[in-house]
Amino acid sequence: MLYLLIVFIGGLLSLFCPWWVIAPVCFASCWLFARHGAQAFRVSALGGMTVWLSYGAYLHAVSNGKLTDGVVGIFAAGIPALSGVPSLLLVLLVAALVIGTVSGFSGLAGLKIGRLTRRPRG
Amino acid sequence: MVKVIKHCWPLVVSLALIYVFHRGWGVLPPLGKVFSPFHGFLQQAGGRGGEADREITLSGLAEDVVVRYDDNAVPHIFARNERDLYFAQGYVIARDRLWQMEFYTLAAEGRLTEVVGPAALEYDRYNRRLGMARTAATIAERMAADTVAHRILEAYAAGVNAYIDGLGYQGLPVEYKLLDYVPERWSPYKSILMLMNMRHTLNGGSDDYRLTNVLARFGPEVTDDLFPAYPAEESPIVPTGTEWGFAPSSVPAVPDTVAYLPESGALAFSVPAPRPEVGSNNWAVGGSKSATGLPILANDPHLRLTLPSIWYQMQLSAPGVNVCGVALPGTPAIIIGFNKDIAWGVTNTGSDVMDFYRIRFQDERLGAYWHDGRWKPTTLQVEAFKIKGADPIRDTLYYTHHGPIVYHEAKSTNYGRNIPVGYAMRWVANETDGADVLTFHYLNRASGYGDYRDALAHFTAPAQNFVFSSNEDDIAIASNGKLPLKWKGQGRYLLDGTSAAHDWQGWIPREQNPSVKNPPRGFVSSANQFPADTSYPYYLDWKFAHSSRAIRINERLEAMENASADSLRDLQNDNHNVDARRILPRLLESLASDDSIRWSTEFDLIQRWDHRNDADAAGAAIFEHWMDELLAAIWADEFPSGEGLLYPSLDRTFELIVHEPGAKWFDRVDTPDTLETIDGIIRLSFRVTIAKLRERFGEPTGTNWAWHKVKGTRITHLVPNFTSFGRHDIPNGGGGGIVNATTGTHGPSWRMVVQLDSVWPVAYGLYPGGQSGNPGSHYYDNMIERWADGRLDALLFLKDVDEPSERLRHRIALKPKR
Repeated sequence: MLYLLIVFIGGLLSLFCPWWVIAPVCFASCWLFARHGAQAFRVSALGGMTVWLSYGAYLHAVSNGKLTDGVVGIFAAGIPALSGVPSLLLVLLVAALVIGTVSGFSGLAGLKIGRLTRRPRG
Repeated sequence: MVKVIKHCWPLVVSLALIYVFHRGWGVLPPLGKVFSPFHGFLQQAGGRGGEADREITLSGLAEDVVVRYDDNAVPHIFARNERDLYFAQGYVIARDRLWQMEFYTLAAEGRLTEVVGPAALEYDRYNRRLGMARTAATIAERMAADTVAHRILEAYAAGVNAYIDGLGYQGLPVEYKLLDYVPERWSPYKSILMLMNMRHTLNGGSDDYRLTNVLARFGPEVTDDLFPAYPAEESPIVPTGTEWGFAPSSVPAVPDTVAYLPESGALAFSVPAPRPEVGSNNWAVGGSKSATGLPILANDPHLRLTLPSIWYQMQLSAPGVNVCGVALPGTPAIIIGFNKDIAWGVTNTGSDVMDFYRIRFQDERLGAYWHDGRWKPTTLQVEAFKIKGADPIRDTLYYTHHGPIVYHEAKSTNYGRNIPVGYAMRWVANETDGADVLTFHYLNRASGYGDYRDALAHFTAPAQNFVFSSNEDDIAIASNGKLPLKWKGQGRYLLDGTSAAHDWQGWIPREQNPSVKNPPRGFVSSANQFPADTSYPYYLDWKFAHSSRAIRINERLEAMENASADSLRDLQNDNHNVDARRILPRLLESLASDDSIRWSTEFDLIQRWDHRNDADAAGAAIFEHWMDELLAAIWADEFPSGEGLLYPSLDRTFELIVHEPGAKWFDRVDTPDTLETIDGIIRLSFRVTIAKLRERFGEPTGTNWAWHKVKGTRITHLVPNFTSFGRHDIPNGGGGGIVNATTGTHGPSWRMVVQLDSVWPVAYGLYPGGQSGNPGSHYYDNMIERWADGRLDALLFLKDVDEPSERLRHRIALKPKR
């Protein structure tokens, strides 16, 4: 359920809000529904990556692929090891790294802050 | 406390990650924004299908405008009034080319450091010293009073801004995302900067200091002999024998001293030499030579080959105007094109409109300089450079009445110790009168020769050879723009900034600029050569573009009968090498006398070569490289590289080889005991050439040494580091001195042929790129293959908004916001 919540709300809000909007979505979802740290991090990261990678792969699939090649060409210039790697793979790897870490830590933060505030003092 | 830390660290990490990915770091763009599929570059990934019809509401429009796009993504704009037409033009160009047009203005303004960082600092500093931003600001201010020009520029800017206003981060062209900045609002000032950029491209080089170094080293006699004021072989724009038909104004007398020689040693300026690759061809054949009985006109401007392309194809239609052709992104109106009745095109005149004056400052504060017997104050302007990823810096610019000081350094001089030596630049590009945009506005609406002449009167700089044809069977060409009235040879060398006699003395009366209408030979043409022969009463320059293209164009047009649009297209792609025809037989004679060369594969390749720079010609590869080696072998001993000395021209060198084989220049000065001959030089330079070619391209086979491989034509993105947005190794022929002027980096940036008709013209055109500025679009570079093959597209020129055509794809209705 946590996963679906992140994917649907995160995906929907991403259409209108800044790129980092998945972070507060993961934060709030995990505050409310996550049970433990590993789950919060894993499910959030996976949810964020699902949203970005599926939409990214879709955009690439309906395009002619030129721009992905071009942008990767700029980033990979001077790194011969990357020359044989398909450009879509590199783009998705970077996207996964960015959104995976941001959403994962946001989910974990939501769980932890939730516990902190819910726990009675003293 | 420990608990709080234990629970809060993921939040801190998460916020830190968002911060890190939300901003750029050095050359790395903000990864979060750029790689988000919802916001980043993937939003610009070009689709496979076509666009659908749509309606867009815009504030600033008065009435409805319809934009119909054809199968080459060319917009055909139909407006109901002139203001809406220019508004829509700005809007439509911005949709395709916003990043590019702003990039040009940042370059002209000297602000590239703001987007690309410290690497652009020297380039920016130089551009600011040239004073282009200041001139553009003055022109914009002055034009605000000119209702017509201002109205056009304002409407255009409003259209561009309407597009910018509707853009979120998502919609930004990919370059903004990768370089991490956002567009500024457009203004008439920016459109003028765009034209300043063109002035710089076309007239931003000078040989003055290099020739002054030659004068200082060899004296006037040798300099005049090696650098004559008119070439041995030439075919001027105004045909020899044409009556001038005017009483010339009095020309200023030549003063006793014509140059300011450096006190010691050779000068090393940072001003670049004129680029021979920047040039153009245009011509028009009259009805007597055409199959249709009416004129056909052709034009191909040669510029640096870039993506996005410098040109943008479009049709502009409103009551009183219906015109088609290419526009410069960022500038209103059609620059090269045609309407129902006329067609026009431009080549650069390239006369000497950039001179340098040695300035004698009063002291090291540079506050005053000596001129015409008294001290005159300089004006100061402090320039601030914002630099991406570095601290801002400041630079002070000094202006004299000539123009900006472009070069100064503190050193001991005749005037005293450590008082800076300065050179001020007088450059026609910094003239602030006239309104170049009006020339194009009126040409767009012209219906005959009279309108063409009236339109030309608004043009300032850089002077262009405007070729013209009309369906009244008129053809004409005029070197048009402000041309300084000079004493003979003025500005050939660096000038004396203290002497009033060295100032520019006024202007050649515009109606006396070189021009010709309906010459008896039945055609007009230009290829940046001398506008007129020595009978012209004014001094324009001592050197113009090498005459080989002009000679070839004129000999082919001379021979042409029943010309069609295809004959002219064929001429645009002519690969005949006039220089090879002129000098190769003499060079082969020398080679053949040496058995070790005579029986070589390389000799065989060049001997059998048909003097055509075709894509697969190995002979062309040898010849083109050999010419550089030959010049170096003849001149490098007396004119060592690194000493800022100009080489004599190809034309003069050929003359020496053929007619003065005993000239002392063929004997190397660094081998006093040996007497080298021209034959020895020819053989030596040939051996060096083939050794270098073998080293770079392997064994001399037709495939390894094919001209297109050796030449390696490439079309690069405007940001040098974005190599993957460019195209490389384009297989085509041509060359520097060839009518098909495609070199490695420069070439025909737009080819157009227009066949006029009493009813409706038929036109063809193509440029090496595509309509879209988006590297992800199919239309980013879709014309390159056809361009490389020398083909042209038929241009769709609609009579009205409702004319059906199977080439039309989709339409956008622009609606005024009520």
